[in-house]
Amino acid sequence: MIASASYTVIFYLLAALAVLLSLAVVNAWKLLRAAIALMGVLSMSAGLYVMLDASFLAGVQVLVYVGGIVVLIVFAVMLTRSAELLQDNPAPLRKILGAIASLAFLAATVGVFRSSPFLLSAEKAPLRDNTTLIGEKLLDYGAGGYVLPFEIISLLLLIAIIGGIVVARKTEPQGQPFTTGGDEAGEAEFRPPFTQEEHEDELELVEK
Amino acid sequence: MMSILWPLITIALALGIMLTSASALVWLERRMLALWQDRYGPNRVGPFGLLQVIADTLKMFFKEDWIPPFADKTVFFIAPMVIMTTALLSVAVVPFAPGFSVVDLNIGLLFFLAMSSMGVYSVALAGWASNNKYSLLGGLRASAQMISYEVFMGLSLMGVVMLAGSFNLRDIVEAQEHLWFCVPQFIGLVIFCIAGLAETHRIPFDLPEAESELVAGFHSEYSGMKFGMFFVGEYLGITLISAMIVTLFFGGWYGPILPPIIWFFLKVFVFQCGFILLRATLPRLRYDQLMSFGWKYMLPLSLINILITGAIILAKR
Repeated sequence: MIASASYTVIFYLLAALAVLLSLAVVNAWKLLRAAIALMGVLSMSAGLYVMLDASFLAGVQVLVYVGGIVVLIVFAVMLTRSAELLQDNPAPLRKILGAIASLAFLAATVGVFRSSPFLLSAEKAPLRDNTTLIGEKLLDYGAGGYVLPFEIISLLLLIAIIGGIVVARKTEPQGQPFTTGGDEAGEAEFRPPFTQEEHEDELELVEK
Repeated sequence: MMSILWPLITIALALGIMLTSASALVWLERRMLALWQDRYGPNRVGPFGLLQVIADTLKMFFKEDWIPPFADKTVFFIAPMVIMTTALLSVAVVPFAPGFSVVDLNIGLLFFLAMSSMGVYSVALAGWASNNKYSLLGGLRASAQMISYEVFMGLSLMGVVMLAGSFNLRDIVEAQEHLWFCVPQFIGLVIFCIAGLAETHRIPFDLPEAESELVAGFHSEYSGMKFGMFFVGEYLGITLISAMIVTLFFGGWYGPILPPIIWFFLKVFVFQCGFILLRATLPRLRYDQLMSFGWKYMLPLSLINILITGAIILAKR
């Protein structure tokens, strides 16, 4: 009795916090605060996974989303100017596009909720301790196995990694290499953000 | 009644042990560094200077708790709490002795990795909220460093998981009854030690707080007990990493004659001393060295380790 009551209380606590934090994400004045609130939302959903006995999913959610992706967002925010978000009115086109995007997302969410059957009875509840089962299903190439999607995703990730390297790696600098003060190991690693010639061109432009 | 009391007792014991050992570690580190550097170290307060930690804590409590006017107050306040919270939460899954751990989670190892990956927020947010260029640089360095080394930390442990066939830390310890994993997983052990050192950002990986270039890095603006929390958090991190090394690679509580819990803490103590010795020996790395070492050597090495472990396990079947 006490267990089920506390279960309900914890569920509503997590749900309410998730909603409040989501509102904070879109309403925060500072980008970094939005990122922190996003971290909160993702942690709350990890809590909901725990309540659904999907502890592996919860662990991965915290590890990948909270501890990885949001940290990267924070990292990117710290690299940008820590200016407040622009508060003036956005262009009408952007408002319309934003409204369309949010309406489409709402329609998709409502559609998913209406079309999926929710199992309320305990008979078909998911198995407890499903970590082993997830591992077996992922590498199972028989019926009901997910080895093909798994491999396709790994291929996709490989493509993304190579793409990332191609985008990040600029062409070889043609001008004089940027020196870091006579340290050869450092010089070999260091790629200047612009070549000397480009910099001179910029200087000329500024002078003009 | 006992079913409610027992978990509470274990939580209190685990918290007590961890916090006491973290503060004892402060004293131990100062004394041992002094020994290696041929000086006395703190030896005036109490026998052997043992009460120095209490004196320092009292001092920190009575210092002015100042928030700079240019700081982001809420985030500045939250940041030091995160490091303590995540470190202490990870303690929940550590199996001290058979039947003595706060929770026996099936995803124990994942939980530990998740908590250590959340620890980065403390440093990154502290650096950003201080609104100071040195702090910001420290926070940036910390987030890049920790996000990189977290990858190797996770990958280095996969060999252990494959050998034990479980994420549950109790199962992992029990799988080491006959052979400690430090033998078959030696590469994993070395990578985990290095990554753990980088996660706690101590020398040689203390770039986020490199005092010769960044004042005190991310905690430049912190004073009083808020600084104290960063300080204790670092030592909690060392204790935790030592406990994890013992659990994952050195057979946890297993050992002859002495009771299991004593064995566990003896082993942890050895690794804590090892980390202090590392601090006394190694110089600080440069930032590009840190990154190239991680991504060029640690990542391929840990992937090869997983590959070889998997191949051997398959061949043995």
